[in-house]
Amino acid sequence: MSEIARARGLRRVVRATLGRAYPRIIGANRERSWLFYDTVLPLLGTIAFVYVYKALGAPDRFVGYVIMGGATMAFWMNVMWNMAAQFYWDKQGGNLELYMVLPCGIVPILLGMSIGGFVGTLVRAAAIIVIGSVLFHVTYAITQLPLFLLIFAVGIIALYGLGVTFASVFLMWGREAWHMAELFMEPVFLASGFYFPVRALGFWVGMGTSIIPLTLALDAMRQLLFPGSHPALLPVRAELGALVGLAVMFMLVARWSLRKMEYLARREGRLSLRF
Amino acid sequence: MPTQVSVRSQSSLSRWWRTLRVGYWLGWQIESNWTDPLLFFIYSIARPLGGVLILVFMYHVVARAGGAAMLGFFVVGTACWPFVVRGMMGTAYSLISDREHWRTLRYVYISPISLRAYLVGRALAQATSAVAAAAVTLVFGRWVLGVPMHLATINAPYTAAAFVLGIGAVIALGLIVVSAAVLISGEAWRMPEGVGAALYLVCGAIFPVTVLPPALQALSQAIPLTWWLEAMRRGLLGPAVVRSLPQFTDPTVLGFLAMLTALWVAAALVAFTFAERRARQLGILDRESMY
Repeated sequence: MSEIARARGLRRVVRATLGRAYPRIIGANRERSWLFYDTVLPLLGTIAFVYVYKALGAPDRFVGYVIMGGATMAFWMNVMWNMAAQFYWDKQGGNLELYMVLPCGIVPILLGMSIGGFVGTLVRAAAIIVIGSVLFHVTYAITQLPLFLLIFAVGIIALYGLGVTFASVFLMWGREAWHMAELFMEPVFLASGFYFPVRALGFWVGMGTSIIPLTLALDAMRQLLFPGSHPALLPVRAELGALVGLAVMFMLVARWSLRKMEYLARREGRLSLRF
Repeated sequence: MPTQVSVRSQSSLSRWWRTLRVGYWLGWQIESNWTDPLLFFIYSIARPLGGVLILVFMYHVVARAGGAAMLGFFVVGTACWPFVVRGMMGTAYSLISDREHWRTLRYVYISPISLRAYLVGRALAQATSAVAAAAVTLVFGRWVLGVPMHLATINAPYTAAAFVLGIGAVIALGLIVVSAAVLISGEAWRMPEGVGAALYLVCGAIFPVTVLPPALQALSQAIPLTWWLEAMRRGLLGPAVVRSLPQFTDPTVLGFLAMLTALWVAAALVAFTFAERRARQLGILDRESMY
């Protein structure tokens, strides 16, 4: 019996998590074209919105807003296409059945997808920020770096918690998964204020759209990047507290939803439904 | 057999037309039958409406008052862009999904039909699914955002001519992208998206190309979509619109659009013929990459 097969408990969870993260961190970087597309595609969209602000004669800080939004978009796209819709791809490739019969269960698989997706996307998001900032001469003055990093970390945990929740719902779907992931693009960019301060939507609308963790995370990080000039939705520490709440809530919801949807998917025979 | 006789007795044009119609029907079924009509309608309009509202809010956080000309620019660009996304990118995805996902490309290819007609049919089905999005975006722009777009001032013949030429240009671009997709495997899924994103940047979809660096401006003028979007804005909004190509008169814009569309259609046919032949030579026409 191999060492891997003998692994039990937490050790097995960690091994399975790292095993699933591996292709996302190492494997994905072997396909150079993916690296190119994952960086360049959000960057092209971001540059287009930079030019919108330039056409409107906006102050330079708005260019910074857009670049931040572009980097955040990379995370959102990763969550929607590589977390939420991932089981759809796995159904097509025949991997989902294999995941389901693994002794570790599906949670470490999703955890590995999250960790691998986050690390891979972090590199791409950093590239978007660096290239975008160099191209358009944007500078940032982060006033409280530890707080900035804390908000980013909590926001990411909440976001990937949402991703796992979506993944469990998408488990039930066939072709709808693809279309629903597409549906959650521009409407979410609008609701979360990817390209403008979310306060512009109005206070209560902004509060409503704060159910998407990126809304609060972006607003808080922009307050720290552009102190004094950013129209805040809430004070930074209140947004951090709300993000912690969202992170806990999405983790609990994801756990419950995953069990429920897996049961339904098994009962209705959708786990191997390809089309 | 009656069927064989009827197929043989048909002229090539009528066979081409029949293939296009069947390709259109199939494309429409694939595009729309994954859900009920209401959800499909919401799905069709949500992204373009979201897109135009992003631009409206960007405008308002900067300007906050007036400026209907720029709003009109945004609305028409956002209304037209789904035709590009669905028509151009959709054509490429039709071929790629037939090859990789449905695994039917080889059967389509060996049937006695024109692959071009089939793909144009699929592209037109995709473009049709953009009609609702375009209509709702224009109505929203007119009645909610107050964009000055009135039936009395719309230049209908000009707009209709520009629209037809634009759809031709979109399909030509789609065939060119398909020509590249036939020859590549792993990147084929991402490549149409990359082309779409690049066109979104250089064709003046959401901002006037006059703000681009000179090299990109020159590039944008070689692409028919730039002229199409400009012509649609002039046809729908009249002289009040912010212009991407202010140095040209309305007839000149339409003339350049027609000329460039003809050139790109010719280039698409040549590229597709070459790519198809090359893919057969290399034995990769139906290659599945498992991506």
